[in-house]
Amino acid sequence: MGQTFAQKVLARKAGLREVEPGQIVTVQPDKLLTHDNTAAIARIFREIGVEKVARPEISVIVLDHVVPAATEGHARNHQQIREFVREQGIASFYDVGEGICHQVLPEKGHALPGYLIVGSDSHTPTHGAFGAFAAGIGRTEAAAVMATGEIWLMVPHTFRISIEGQLQKEVYAKDIILYIIGELGADGADYRAVEFTGPVVGELTVASRMVLCNMVAEMGAKIGVAEPDDKTRAWLNGRSVAGFQEVFADPDASYERVIEYDVSGLLPQVAKPHTVDNVVPVTEVLGTRIDQAFIGTCTNGRLEDFRVAAQILGGGNIAPNTRLLILPASREVLLAAVAEGTLTELITAGAVVLNPGCGPCLGAHQGVMAPGEVTISTANRNFKGRMGCKEAQVYLASPATVAASARAGEIVDPREFL
Amino acid sequence: MPGKTIIEKILSVHSGEDAWAGDRVWADLDLAVVRDFGGPNVVLEYEKQMDGEPVWDPHKIAMTFDYQAPAKVVQVANNQRICREFAAKHGIPHVFDVNCGVGQHVLLEQGMILPGSVVIGTDSHMNLLGAVGSFSSGMGTTDVAAAWATGRLWFRVPESIKITFKGSYDYPASAKDLTLFLLSKIDTTKTIYKALEFYGEPIDGLSLAGRLTLASMVTEMEGKIGLIIPDEDILSWIGERSGRKVDAVLPDRDASYWEEREFDIGGLEPLIACPDRPDNVKPVREVAGTHVDQVFVGSCTNGRFEDLRVAAEVLKRMGGKIAPQVRMIVTPATTEVAVEAVEAGLYETFIKAGAMVTNQGCSLCTIGHHGVLAEGDVLVSTGNRNFRGKLGKGSEAYLASPAVAAATAVKGEIALPE
Amino acid sequence: MTDSFVFKGRAWVVGDDIDTDMIYHGSYLPLTDPQEMAKHALEYVPGMEDFTDRVQPGDILVAGRNFGSGSSREHAVITLQYNDVAAIVAESFSRIFYRNAVNLGFPILEVAGVTRAVETGDELEVDANTGRICNLTKGTEVQGTPLSGLEKEIMTSGGLFNFLKKDMQTAE
Repeated sequence: MGQTFAQKVLARKAGLREVEPGQIVTVQPDKLLTHDNTAAIARIFREIGVEKVARPEISVIVLDHVVPAATEGHARNHQQIREFVREQGIASFYDVGEGICHQVLPEKGHALPGYLIVGSDSHTPTHGAFGAFAAGIGRTEAAAVMATGEIWLMVPHTFRISIEGQLQKEVYAKDIILYIIGELGADGADYRAVEFTGPVVGELTVASRMVLCNMVAEMGAKIGVAEPDDKTRAWLNGRSVAGFQEVFADPDASYERVIEYDVSGLLPQVAKPHTVDNVVPVTEVLGTRIDQAFIGTCTNGRLEDFRVAAQILGGGNIAPNTRLLILPASREVLLAAVAEGTLTELITAGAVVLNPGCGPCLGAHQGVMAPGEVTISTANRNFKGRMGCKEAQVYLASPATVAASARAGEIVDPREFL
Repeated sequence: MPGKTIIEKILSVHSGEDAWAGDRVWADLDLAVVRDFGGPNVVLEYEKQMDGEPVWDPHKIAMTFDYQAPAKVVQVANNQRICREFAAKHGIPHVFDVNCGVGQHVLLEQGMILPGSVVIGTDSHMNLLGAVGSFSSGMGTTDVAAAWATGRLWFRVPESIKITFKGSYDYPASAKDLTLFLLSKIDTTKTIYKALEFYGEPIDGLSLAGRLTLASMVTEMEGKIGLIIPDEDILSWIGERSGRKVDAVLPDRDASYWEEREFDIGGLEPLIACPDRPDNVKPVREVAGTHVDQVFVGSCTNGRFEDLRVAAEVLKRMGGKIAPQVRMIVTPATTEVAVEAVEAGLYETFIKAGAMVTNQGCSLCTIGHHGVLAEGDVLVSTGNRNFRGKLGKGSEAYLASPAVAAATAVKGEIALPE
Repeated sequence: MTDSFVFKGRAWVVGDDIDTDMIYHGSYLPLTDPQEMAKHALEYVPGMEDFTDRVQPGDILVAGRNFGSGSSREHAVITLQYNDVAAIVAESFSRIFYRNAVNLGFPILEVAGVTRAVETGDELEVDANTGRICNLTKGTEVQGTPLSGLEKEIMTSGGLFNFLKKDMQTAE
């Protein structure tokens, strides 16, 4: 009997020949990701009564949530984390300005094929785009991993989602994943592993595969994964990465569900307020007034996203009375956007270019809305109050749809700008 | 009868009276500006008092959102919205939203500030526009609301102090050091409420950016305004942008000054204002080696292209990398500065060095945005204020030039540029 | 207040260069409700952190040189006004703070040497008409600068808007 990707990674890490869904294994993760919540985690860690982090070499800490500090509270929090890093001798520490953890991890060679990554952030599955088993965990669990170097995991059942057909122009990975979440529902893949496969996934860039894996969290999945291929290897090539072993699902693996989507006729998709699975084709919300448009985040804050935005803005300006916020996912992304001129085009069009980090995505600063305002965003969540104001609304869409809407001052179909 | 000083001339023209120092006059205003700070208070006060009456002249009102751009909290978002809605209702065309930058600099670039004009705004550094010979003055809510209603305000015509510099200085000394030198030499009990007029070869040699630096810190000298007679280059720069022929307002030869001072700045060396006062000025070499946690290059005092260029050049010359434990935040004053800085490769230098480049605006300098400090943190800033706790309870701030700030970032301690 | 312009109350003495961040910290700038602003008066002045708990209506603030330096924020005046502080007497004021107080009809007086003549808790009588400060506790007097005609007129009108409205009515 063949094994799924999740089974193979967990079996290998547990030192077993094979494992079954539902089985609990104790494993040593390759990486433990924490961010601005490290101070809180460190407090729990100390409550456990342990003094030294068991395996400081697996710990990767990225300050990204509220950077640079927006309040004295955030400043104090960052300061405590810096002290913890020094005290524990944690080498892989990325202070404010490096970028969002889910972008920094792969850029710095911490997210590799076959790796087992746990992170105290719900979008940790992003790293599945590199063929890693990457799952979000809670703060207490993260503290326990710091204390012991180990974690128990239940082997998940797996959905195999095959994406077939040919994407239309101005339809992107974001539209695919929004569509899938709309179909399966916000709890449609609870606890499951999701393997993305099929010809369309093979054609997607690594950055676009990150979009798919990033958003499996929004349908409840434990992990999402795309098989490593030449594109993955090319992406990793030239970066300072450790040795790794690629892991592939067996051809005869047993899946809880196998789902096929033909995306040939797929229209640009939009998730309406206030749930991510409240998805409709853009054609159903045309003309919705917007106050703010936001392109960035760990979901869509990469060079290809900004290129599309610049192309759609086409040297023109954003609509009057509309704000466009641009949030590069990392220093590396920002630098690339500067180097090729994309950034200049966006600034000239009237965008506010924010420093790399999580920015306004979680409502802590840099673009909080007033009551009654509407944002169309490339982020992954549109919950009530997500961007800081309970009386405001967030629509989610692809960078193309968001850029086109910024240009128009209302939600429009990006295919109009072809 | 003796002749008139610049301020006496400006206020005579604007009041239609024969204005002399000590008189109280009602002067006609050319522009009354609010920011997202103070702006909502002005709008609410205006509405309370004027009950829907139209404003005096919508074209002579401007709004500039630079205090918290984009909004950090719902309250600020709502405050910005209150301003936008008021502007729409009263047909106020000049709303410079969160994508524009530091208000006074934006207005200057837009050609809205002419020599000899009388401008007020809800910003204590409004008077930096004295750099082009405008009488611009910071005001509170009630003053600006009254100005919106009537177009006039009362002024006590200030006595003038004529300050003449002589001598010359070389890099790395700069306009900021000249400014700090003056702060250390003058007695603020004498300059309080006064108009300063600046003369001498060192002033003639200052670029617009350098003049803005000096004029901006007249606030910290407790002066009402620091006036510099614009030279031909600056007049034609303003002429191009305003589309009007502009002339400088000159004082009469026999103008009567409350005091005349001469300062020899020959051999000026880099200076730094130590905690907690802008006039606690020492040579940089005396405090070299002081540990620093954060460095800020920007603000209405030192956020122009030329300031950023100097900082970038110092970074490059000193190895291109900031010290690992230091955070460096760079903020261009305006969109125009940002685009110029990107195109000149400055962003690349900053980003590669490990600095964070934020969106244009007041950033760190206005508290609570972009890099609040934790207790015990030490900041070296190119801004204009280092009052105790301004940027975070228990933190300390030093004020210096862009060159010293950049050198300090590289060394991780207060340092002179190499 | 508009009639007598004479105030009697307990003194609170603070030092030189009390800036606007100390009077009303920048992190509270988004507030627009004066009652809310009142909760943060003098919070960043060392030793005055609990001022709002201890201040009584009619108290008089006595300050050194350059009171209110820094920002143009009118909150700095409002926060004291809404704690029912009767008046501020200082060696000197920063100019925007001075204007803001005048425009809001909040009595302020420049009195050289006042910080040497008064201690916190002293009972004062302040006559803004004459500029005279009587320290009733110590039995001493200090003479300050009486308010000028225009400032006094604005203050007694109850602030700039009331003054302008009278002015506009007269013009009509």
